[in-house]
Amino acid sequence: MSDLEPVIGIDLGTTNSVVATVRDGVPRVIPNRSGQLLTPSIVAVAKNGKKLVGTLAKRQAITNAENTVFAAKRLIGRRWGSKEVEDARRVLPYTLVAGPEGHDVRVALAGRTLSVSELSATVLAELKADAEAWFGRPVRKAVVTVPAYFNDGQRQATKDAGKIAGLEVLRIINEPTSAALAYGFGKQIEKKVVVFDLGGGTFDVSILDIGKSVYDVVAVGGDTYLGGEDFDRRVMDWLTFAFAKENGGVDLRQDKMALQRLKDAAEKAKCELSNGGATSIHLPFLVSGGEGKGALHLDKQLTREKLEELTKDLVDRCIAVAEKTLKDAGVRPAQVGEVILVGGMTRMPRVQKAVKDFFGKEPHRGVHPEEVVALGAAIQAQALTAPAPKGEEVLLLDVTPQNLGIMVVGGYFQTVIPKSTTVPTSQTHLFTTVQESQTSVRIAVLQGESERAVENELLGEFILDGIRPARRGEVSIEVTFEISADGIVGVSARDVDTGQQQSITVTATSGLTEDELKRILDEQLDDLLEKKASAGEWEERRDRVLAIVAEIEALVPAVHAALERTKFGKDAVQKAEGVLARVQAAIDARDAAALAREEEQLDRTLQLFKGLAAQTRQPAGK
Amino acid sequence: MNGDRFQGVAFDQAALSEDVDLDAERRREILLAEANLDRWSHWEMLGIAWNATSAAAKDAYLEKVKLFHPDRYAGKRLGSYLSRLERVFKRITEARDTLADEAKRAAYARTTAPATEFTRIEARRLEDERRAEERRARLARGNPLVARVARVQEFVQRGKAALAEGKYAAAANDLALAQGLDPKNAELAALAQEARRKAGAAKATELLQKGIEAELIGNAAAALERYREALEQDPANVRAAAAAARAALATGDLASARALAVAAMKAGPRTGLAHEALGLVLEAEGNRKEARRALERALELDPKLDGAKARLKKLGLLGGLLG
Repeated sequence: MSDLEPVIGIDLGTTNSVVATVRDGVPRVIPNRSGQLLTPSIVAVAKNGKKLVGTLAKRQAITNAENTVFAAKRLIGRRWGSKEVEDARRVLPYTLVAGPEGHDVRVALAGRTLSVSELSATVLAELKADAEAWFGRPVRKAVVTVPAYFNDGQRQATKDAGKIAGLEVLRIINEPTSAALAYGFGKQIEKKVVVFDLGGGTFDVSILDIGKSVYDVVAVGGDTYLGGEDFDRRVMDWLTFAFAKENGGVDLRQDKMALQRLKDAAEKAKCELSNGGATSIHLPFLVSGGEGKGALHLDKQLTREKLEELTKDLVDRCIAVAEKTLKDAGVRPAQVGEVILVGGMTRMPRVQKAVKDFFGKEPHRGVHPEEVVALGAAIQAQALTAPAPKGEEVLLLDVTPQNLGIMVVGGYFQTVIPKSTTVPTSQTHLFTTVQESQTSVRIAVLQGESERAVENELLGEFILDGIRPARRGEVSIEVTFEISADGIVGVSARDVDTGQQQSITVTATSGLTEDELKRILDEQLDDLLEKKASAGEWEERRDRVLAIVAEIEALVPAVHAALERTKFGKDAVQKAEGVLARVQAAIDARDAAALAREEEQLDRTLQLFKGLAAQTRQPAGK
Repeated sequence: MNGDRFQGVAFDQAALSEDVDLDAERRREILLAEANLDRWSHWEMLGIAWNATSAAAKDAYLEKVKLFHPDRYAGKRLGSYLSRLERVFKRITEARDTLADEAKRAAYARTTAPATEFTRIEARRLEDERRAEERRARLARGNPLVARVARVQEFVQRGKAALAEGKYAAAANDLALAQGLDPKNAELAALAQEARRKAGAAKATELLQKGIEAELIGNAAAALERYREALEQDPANVRAAAAAARAALATGDLASARALAVAAMKAGPRTGLAHEALGLVLEAEGNRKEARRALERALELDPKLDGAKARLKKLGLLGGLLG
């Protein structure tokens, strides 16, 4: 088996991504080069111009919020001007701009404009490199997961991201399906299973019939804009409001750095409350108090009850989506044999209780909610490349999440392939000319659940041209709509009488055009993802770091004075000592990567010390 | 597995000899299914009997899927077989979608039933319907509650019909029976009361007529008897009371005559008949003055009362005046 080319499964998450593989018949997560199983889905350009991915990018997010891109998954394949993008623009600290055609979303990052696919590709390339380091050989093929509710545009853009990262995407599979695959792997299961997947940014619920090693998806439902980040935002809003109240209306949302610290603290508090009843949120020197005043601190206690109260409607929304999905599929909660919880948010006790109350049974606890999706993807990648031994072969039968249809007269939406149809599938539709000598027909293809075309997602407009001139109604064109096993839509057309294949032009898609994709693929991704520092850069970096160290040392007496009067910052100083020790070690070992890792920490320490020192000078009458 | 199935099938030789990673058996299997995509029914496509259960259809689908899903041939060269597999997969999925859904399966089973099965099923359906009807009827008879409700309804209906036809006695009878079965029904009670009242009035009129007939043939005693009965049926009947008082006078029973005249006055204090009867009784008692006043009052109320006129003449005073 070892002579076979290695294949991987990637869970490209909103918050974190995971890469896994199947080795010797056992699915397992591949740790990244820093030894962690989860890689933050964050891409940044540091102040020194260096591109950072994953943990390194996350670490400097506070001091460099404008050039740190997180939650790109929320934007991938979305159309510019859509409600989701407008919402994101309001809350994200980085800048979004329209694509060249005005249809898709681009991100302005350190003077460059990048497509969301390119940013996701950067994360995928990092995971690919992690896997290559682990295998010690190149990796080319992967299965990538997406939320079940992703539409064609979002899937296409994810597949593009894979291509840009230098991966052959064997298949795009749905996250809940993938989780079910990992759950059932190696077991003899004959039952209905519901996957309740509440991740960082999306909520998915899938119903599967598992039997004879066939994973047959019966129905999917979800909300692509409901996840852990919404829970974080509730905590942030609560903190912001309380802070404004206590500090005469100071609005933390005006300060991007404060906002980033608030976001981290909110997420951390939320996670802590999954195990404890209460947690403290301390954010010293969060924001300046204004002209001539000291910095303001945030110090709040958050109880589990309060968190549950703040997020009750979000949990209710999840259950409502689950209820509707079951109802549409004609499945009663009591018929469900197992409920699998996926996604970090399902660690929240209130979520678990809501699930238990709704289904009337304890959810399954045997899978790791953050790793299970990648493991399933690895199993599917294996199944799609290597023939499995008898009895261990698995087969996924997934469904299309939304109705696929076309716009008809009056702006109505006519379904061509209804949702929950097993993929791959196809359906033909007959069009006739309505004018004398008509030579082209325009067809708007949409995905969604509304009867009105405009309320659905426009996948693209297809122009059938080169139709032979004839009396109106005399030419019939058969248009075939296809949905691949990836959930990606294809359209082809044929003249019924002559059997001639009709040409189709796509006039608008949400994402990269073919030309753009080619250009990006031609460029080396290394350009985006610089990895090694030259000798000259080493000198430069060392000098810069030493300058910061000197500044910090100069502030030490003032900091000591400040610490005598405030309870804040004592642990921060201890941390600072650790950072300085590691910096020294990195310089001694001439370890550029380690030094790069510490640089941002060092920068943060300097900011903190400056704040503390300012406190000391304050009462002295300055 | 079963070589017979391939017998007599003309396989595309080019496809059979195509350079792909599939054995001959598998190739024939795929080509056979593909050749019959439009011809085979959903049942045949899944290899199950007509009218097999939806569970059987699901099971069969899972087996067929292992044979025809392109993913099952991962890493193999499939050539033209890839699109063949896709076509077959779509077709068996379509079959499953219909047959695994209980309602769709039943509808499809009807349209695809073999002729013999069709008549058998239709006969059974009719038989089932007949039995269901019978069962409902039996239930109505056997169940006391159902029976009682049904009977009340029947009586009420009949009672109402009789009321409309003016057969008040019959109506009162039916409604009284209905009320007995359903004593708490206020609407029914009111209806029964109304029927009873109308029936009593009708009976009184009839008895009154009989009394008049008896009086005409000179049998005052029999007439009195009828008038009393009429009065029992309808105590507010002035005509009956006045006539009874007259008949009692004729039989010489002055006391009864007086009581009846008083009853007539109670029933109709502003009727000529009652005052006339009172006048006659007073006259018989010898109270001429009061008798005259009563008779005068009677004529005031009803000038056509010839009997009263005649009595006043006899009393002489009025007669003198009229001259």
